[in-house]
Amino acid sequence: VRGGRAWLGVLGAALLFWPLLVPGYFVFLLSLTLANAVVAIGLNLLSGYTNQLSFGHAGFLAIGAYTAALLTIHAPGLPVIVTLLLAGMATGAIGVGLGIPCLRLEGLYLTMATLAFGFVVTEVIMNLDSITRGADGLRVPAPRLGGLFLASDISRYYLVVTVAAVLVAAAVNLMRTRTGRAFLAIRESEIAAQSAGIPVASYKTIAFGLSAFYTGVAGGLFAFTVGYLSPDAFDVFLSVDFVIMIILGGLGSVPGSIVGAAVVTVLHDWLAAFQNFRPLIFGTILIACMLFMPGGIARALQPVFRRR
Amino acid sequence: VISAAALVHVVVSGLATGSIYALMALALVIIYNATRTLNFAQGEMLMMSTFIGWAAYRAFALPLVLTIVVAVLAGAALAVIVERVIIRRSIAAAHWDVLIITLGLSLILRSVAGLIWTHEDFPFPSYFGERPIALGPVRLAPVSLGIIGGSLLLMAALYGLFGFTRMGRAMRAVAQNQRAARLMGISVERVYSLSWILAAMVGAVAGVLVAPVTFLSTKMGLIVINGFTAAVIGGFGSMPGAVLGGMLLGVIENLAPLYLPSGIRYSVPFLILVGILLIRPAGLLGRVERRKV
Repeated sequence: VRGGRAWLGVLGAALLFWPLLVPGYFVFLLSLTLANAVVAIGLNLLSGYTNQLSFGHAGFLAIGAYTAALLTIHAPGLPVIVTLLLAGMATGAIGVGLGIPCLRLEGLYLTMATLAFGFVVTEVIMNLDSITRGADGLRVPAPRLGGLFLASDISRYYLVVTVAAVLVAAAVNLMRTRTGRAFLAIRESEIAAQSAGIPVASYKTIAFGLSAFYTGVAGGLFAFTVGYLSPDAFDVFLSVDFVIMIILGGLGSVPGSIVGAAVVTVLHDWLAAFQNFRPLIFGTILIACMLFMPGGIARALQPVFRRR
Repeated sequence: VISAAALVHVVVSGLATGSIYALMALALVIIYNATRTLNFAQGEMLMMSTFIGWAAYRAFALPLVLTIVVAVLAGAALAVIVERVIIRRSIAAAHWDVLIITLGLSLILRSVAGLIWTHEDFPFPSYFGERPIALGPVRLAPVSLGIIGGSLLLMAALYGLFGFTRMGRAMRAVAQNQRAARLMGISVERVYSLSWILAAMVGAVAGVLVAPVTFLSTKMGLIVINGFTAAVIGGFGSMPGAVLGGMLLGVIENLAPLYLPSGIRYSVPFLILVGILLIRPAGLLGRVERRKV
C-alpha cells in the first residue's frame, strides 16, 4: 500500500505539471480523456456492477452537457462547481426516471431500451431548437468560478482534473460503503444478493441514478472542454465508444475504466486522419477483448500487481 | 382530412416497409431461438450481402434473379465465416458477451464495406416498373406490392421449413430445450450454424428487396434496430409474432407522420419499443419465460 501511495503522488504531480510540460493540444486531450474516464466510471457502476449494459450513455452525456451549457448562458453568475452539480443532478434524476421502468427489463431488452433512449435524446435536442439551437449547435461560454473566468484551456484543464479526481476517489471509496458492497454482491449473483436480503431493485435504481449523475457531470466537463455542442456529436457511436472503454479497461474496475477511456480517447485522436479505419480497429478491439481478454486490461494486469 | 384512397396507399406502403422489418425480425428470432443471443450485426450482414450482389450485378451485368442468388449465397458464406471463426469460440460466454462481439462485428463490417464501396448512396436496380397500378381510386406502387409479395413467399417457405422438414423440427427442438434436443441425437452445434446461415439468407433477401427503395448504402445496417423493435412487439422468440410486429411497426411508422408533428417522426419506433417493453415485455404473441433457480 505504501508503494501505491507513492505512485499516487507521482501521478498527482504529473497531472499538476502536465500543462507546463507539453504543448497546449495535449492539455486539451488529457481534459477530454478525463471527462471520458468519468463517463466510463459511471457506465461501469451500471454495467460492471449491476449487469445493466447501456448503449445510451451518449444520451446522458448530452443531457449533462446541454444542462451545463444552458445554465452558463442563462445564469452566468453561477459558480462552475454549482453548474456541474446541477448538470449531474438533472441527469441523475432522468437516470432514475429511466432506471425504474428498466427494472422490468433484463439483458438485451434493457440494452435495446437504453439504445432507444439515446436516439430519443438527440432527437429531442434537435427539435427543441428554440432552447438548444438544434442542429446549428450551441457555443458554450467560459464558465466562472467566483470572480475568475475560466477562459483558457489550462484553467479549464485544472477544473477537469479537480472534478475528475474527486469523482474517482468517490467511486473507489464507494466500494467500501454499504451501497458499494451491495453492488459487488449484485455483480456476483443477483439471486444470491436478493436472498441475502439486499433490495436488488432499489440498488439497481441507485446504480442508474449514480451512473447518470457521473455521466451528467462529465457532460458538463465535456461542454466546457470542447466549447461547442451539437446533437450529432452524441450519436449511438459515442455510446458504443463508452462501452468499448469499459470492455477494454475491465468491467467493474475503476482503474480499468480510466485506462480504457485513455486508450480509446488517444486512439481516436491518432486515427483522426484515418476516419474509415476507426470502426474497423475498434470493432477488432471489442471482439479480441471478448475472446482473448475477458475482464479487460484490469484483469490482465492483475497478476502483475498482485506480485508486489 | 386524408382521403380513404390516400390512406390505403399509405397503409400498403407501410405493409411493404413492414415486410422488410418482419424479415429482419425473423432473422433475429431464428438466431435467438437457437442460441439465445442477439445478433447485433444482422443489419450489417444484410448490407454486406446486398453490396456483394450489386457488385456482381455491375461487374458481370447479371440478370436480377442471379443478383438475388449471389446476394443470398454471399450472406450464407458470410454467416459461415462469422459463425465458425468468431461466434463458436464464445459458445459458453455470458448472456451479453455475444451481443458485444456482434456489436464489434457490425463496426468491422460497416467499416470494410465503406473502404471497398465508400459510404455513399447507390441506386439499386428495381424489378418492378415505375407506373402505379390503379385499383379504382387507389394507386399502388408496384414496388410496394413486389416487396410484400416477395416477403410473403419467403415467409411461406420458412413456415414450410420449420413445420415440415427434419431440419426445421431439429431447430424448433433446440429452441424449446437444448439438453433434451441433444439427448435426442440432434447436433446442437449444427443447428447453431444452420440458424446463422438461414438468418443471413433471409436478411440478404430483405436487403435485395428494400435496396431499390432506400438506395444501397453502408447505413442500411441500422435496420436491425427496427427489426428488433418488430420482434419485441410480436414477442421476442415468436416467429408469427415477428411477422405481425413487423407489419404493425411498418404501418404505424408510415401513418405517424400524417397525425403527429414532424419532430418526433424518427422517434416513433423507439417510443413504440420502450412502450411495449414497459407495458407488455413479452410482446403481443410472446410467452413469459420463467427461469428456475
